[in-house]
Amino acid sequence: MQTLFKILARYSNFLVFLALEVAAFLLIGYNNPYPRSSILSTANDAVAWQHEQINEITGYFNLRSQNELLAEENAALRNQISAMDSAEQVQMHYTSAKVVQMTTHELHNYLTINKGSKDGIQRGQGVRNGDGVVGIIRTVGRNYSVVLPIINTQTNLSCRFAKNDYIGTLQWDGTDSRFANLTDVAAHMVVNPGDTIITSGLSPVFPEGIPVGIVENSVLKEGDSYHTIRVRLHTNFKRLKYVEVVQNAHQTELEELANGLD
Amino acid sequence: MDWTKQLGRYVVVMLLQVLLFNQLQLFGVCHPYIYVMCLLMMPITLPHSVDMVIGAVIGLIMDVFCNSLGIHAAGCILIMFLRPYVLGMIINDKERLNEQINQHTIGMEAMIKYVAILVPIHHLTVFALGAWSWAHIGFVMLETVVSSLITIAIIIGYNSLRYR
Repeated sequence: MQTLFKILARYSNFLVFLALEVAAFLLIGYNNPYPRSSILSTANDAVAWQHEQINEITGYFNLRSQNELLAEENAALRNQISAMDSAEQVQMHYTSAKVVQMTTHELHNYLTINKGSKDGIQRGQGVRNGDGVVGIIRTVGRNYSVVLPIINTQTNLSCRFAKNDYIGTLQWDGTDSRFANLTDVAAHMVVNPGDTIITSGLSPVFPEGIPVGIVENSVLKEGDSYHTIRVRLHTNFKRLKYVEVVQNAHQTELEELANGLD
Repeated sequence: MDWTKQLGRYVVVMLLQVLLFNQLQLFGVCHPYIYVMCLLMMPITLPHSVDMVIGAVIGLIMDVFCNSLGIHAAGCILIMFLRPYVLGMIINDKERLNEQINQHTIGMEAMIKYVAILVPIHHLTVFALGAWSWAHIGFVMLETVVSSLITIAIIIGYNSLRYR
């Protein structure tokens, strides 16, 4: 017994080190790869507020280009309203939000928006802007939420070609925020540069037909059964300021149905 | 009070890290974490285990701002654990370790060695845990080399200006 205590005393520092590292790894394991706790992340009011203040200052430098974009978007929206299917209008509700913080140069990018649970935001809702798809809500705080953008190596988005109904999965490879890869497109399908990629509508996150990007190039090596397709994304993440959260009135019902299958 | 002054300095360095250095976007590989300066320059007066707990706390504060819960903490705990051994290896005169560790107290050569050993260890831990996959190992190494060089330059630069 005494020898045990001696050994413990001798290696106490190393044991403290091990205990602390294990605690740190448990935290990483619990949270990896995205923050689930809204307190210990940028969905936290105080931290997000700090980012928002920085944005207030830097926001003035690109007012002109933002105004142009907003004007374009307004026009596009008016066109959409006139053409809109009335059934979808009831089902989908859009909440506009401002991006208060975002990264575009890491493997696990995320962005923080200034709308939270008090605005009806829930985990799993889709986020888009005037150009196209942005990402999916990950963590919801009271006033802020963290969004997992499509430019995150862990995001998978179900997409399809606009010209026919071929489905593929959009993934990001961690290099360039302007491009992503479309996988799972079978070799017999003819892919041309310039083909338009839109959301498939197969998940309740996004309605069908939100623009995602256009095919930049596609490679089909000898013996491959799938295309390697590079997609130029419509959304310019470097200049992202305003987004819209897509709230599907039927989302809970659809998810419950899907869960009931398991 | 010496402690309040020390604490004030920590706050300034952490703010610089969050407001300035975390916003850098140089080719996606440059993420200098200059806040480790706070940990590296702490005198060796407290028990080793308390040092490691301080490392964990500073790391967790950084994690909250980086959305990376636990990753910075793991890196900081590791360098706080290794610190006394590294210092023991590179300095003969251990008399002055109970003062703040800087160029003035341990000498320029020892300071450069000390920082150049521990900073890359911290950065490699943070980037490797952040990537959490062997697929990005090349990118992680590049990120570690570039960011470490910048962090080391900033810490040594600050030292040579402040403690001439």
